Amino acid sequence: MSAIDFGDPATIAFLTDALTAAGVEGLEISRPDGQIRIVISGEGAARISVPAATPRASDSAAVVVKAPLAGHFCAEHPGTAVAPQTLPRSISDADVLGFIRVGHMLLPLRAGHSGVLTRLLAEPDTLVGFGDPLFEIELPS
Amino acid sequence: MIEILESGLFNTVQDLGRPGYRDIGVSASGAMDPLAVRIGNSLVGNDENAAVIEVQTFPFSLRFERRTVFAVTGTDGHPHLDGSELIPWCAYMAELGQVLELKQPPRLARAYISVGGGLDIPVVMGSRSTSLRGGFGGNAGRPLAKGDRIAVGEDLEIAMLPATGLAVIEPAVALREVFPAPVDGVLPIRALPAGEHGLFAGDGEAFWSQIWRISSRSDRTGYRLSGEPITPTATIEMRSHGVVPGVIQVPPGGEPIVQMSDANTAGGYPKIAGVIECDLWRLGQARIGARLKFVRSTHAEARAVEQAVARYVEDVRLTSGMVKRALKAMA
Repeated sequence: MSAIDFGDPATIAFLTDALTAAGVEGLEISRPDGQIRIVISGEGAARISVPAATPRASDSAAVVVKAPLAGHFCAEHPGTAVAPQTLPRSISDADVLGFIRVGHMLLPLRAGHSGVLTRLLAEPDTLVGFGDPLFEIELPS
Repeated sequence: MIEILESGLFNTVQDLGRPGYRDIGVSASGAMDPLAVRIGNSLVGNDENAAVIEVQTFPFSLRFERRTVFAVTGTDGHPHLDGSELIPWCAYMAELGQVLELKQPPRLARAYISVGGGLDIPVVMGSRSTSLRGGFGGNAGRPLAKGDRIAVGEDLEIAMLPATGLAVIEPAVALREVFPAPVDGVLPIRALPAGEHGLFAGDGEAFWSQIWRISSRSDRTGYRLSGEPITPTATIEMRSHGVVPGVIQVPPGGEPIVQMSDANTAGGYPKIAGVIECDLWRLGQARIGARLKFVRSTHAEARAVEQAVARYVEDVRLTSGMVKRALKAMA
């Protein structure tokens, strides 16, 4: 399974809430590209050390669609004939870019932004984890 | 409530049928593609036997009069919600006033619309299915028509549906190992030899070897097949006896009739074969003019297919709930 992006504030907030709800005092994860430590204080408020993750080369005009659930990443509907996606291509915010497959269930992945789909960030049919980057969309300037 | 805006002939409310009353002449009715109904209801969080709309004449459209979870299954066409194309076999949320439109599917015959909470229709003799011949059940015993308004049951799981919808890999894809695809456009339908198969001698073999075409004189009661007529070696008079969906009778003209969901409860024609129950949905999705070939099956194969379908349905039911709960927890 691919690694979770700990540079994402939403991921940190989700983990913090989950730790608080579970009554866990803290969490520390070390990886070659950095480490993160979240400590839940006695008052219930979290104290978070800023992750020392290696900053990603980022383009301020690009957004990344991430996996909302762990499962197999499908760039196409399994029922359609396999046709390689031509990239880059224009998309609208309502377009379905792919699916997360869990058993026979398919969770559609909406673009959420209009722009140009520039990159697939996960290999089709691989197992991805919550928060893994799947698509990069370049927003119109 | 939902309001029917446009409907062709013979679109009806159906569930999984009304078994148990053939002895008093009441056919079972129920959806022609029961697998699509079971999966559609699982997607929207219903009991699998909840009442749905069976659409077999297109175009068809309806308006949602409240926020409603819905899924369109069975079809290989794309439904539209307020003009936006959706994927079939996927549960979505419709907002008050939105219009769902179904156009003629490319290949298949029927589409099923399931709504969260099910259609709130009175149960008659254990079922909400429409009996068109009996004129009871479903929508006052008649097909849906423009202007009809149908109540929708309370949806206790409406908050569980992910905003992007939740789809399923349809049976034809997920179960392709147990449901062989058509070969050169000819649909293979598995059947078992029936009581009077022996009467047809050489013509009995011709029944299995030739390609049949679904005639225009076909409906929910029975599919009449066109092809080289088959005749028994001797004319016999049979007393009328019970028949069920799937039974293939041969009338004197020699062109078989397959009993379907609104099957007669009794008949006197000799029976040459019976379609295995798990293949009936494929026949229910075959259109007039479609070509098919009967493949001699066994009870063991029929049971194996039945078990594979049961595993698939159970997996969809359990996994759809699990995915909804996981996404809700992370929202």
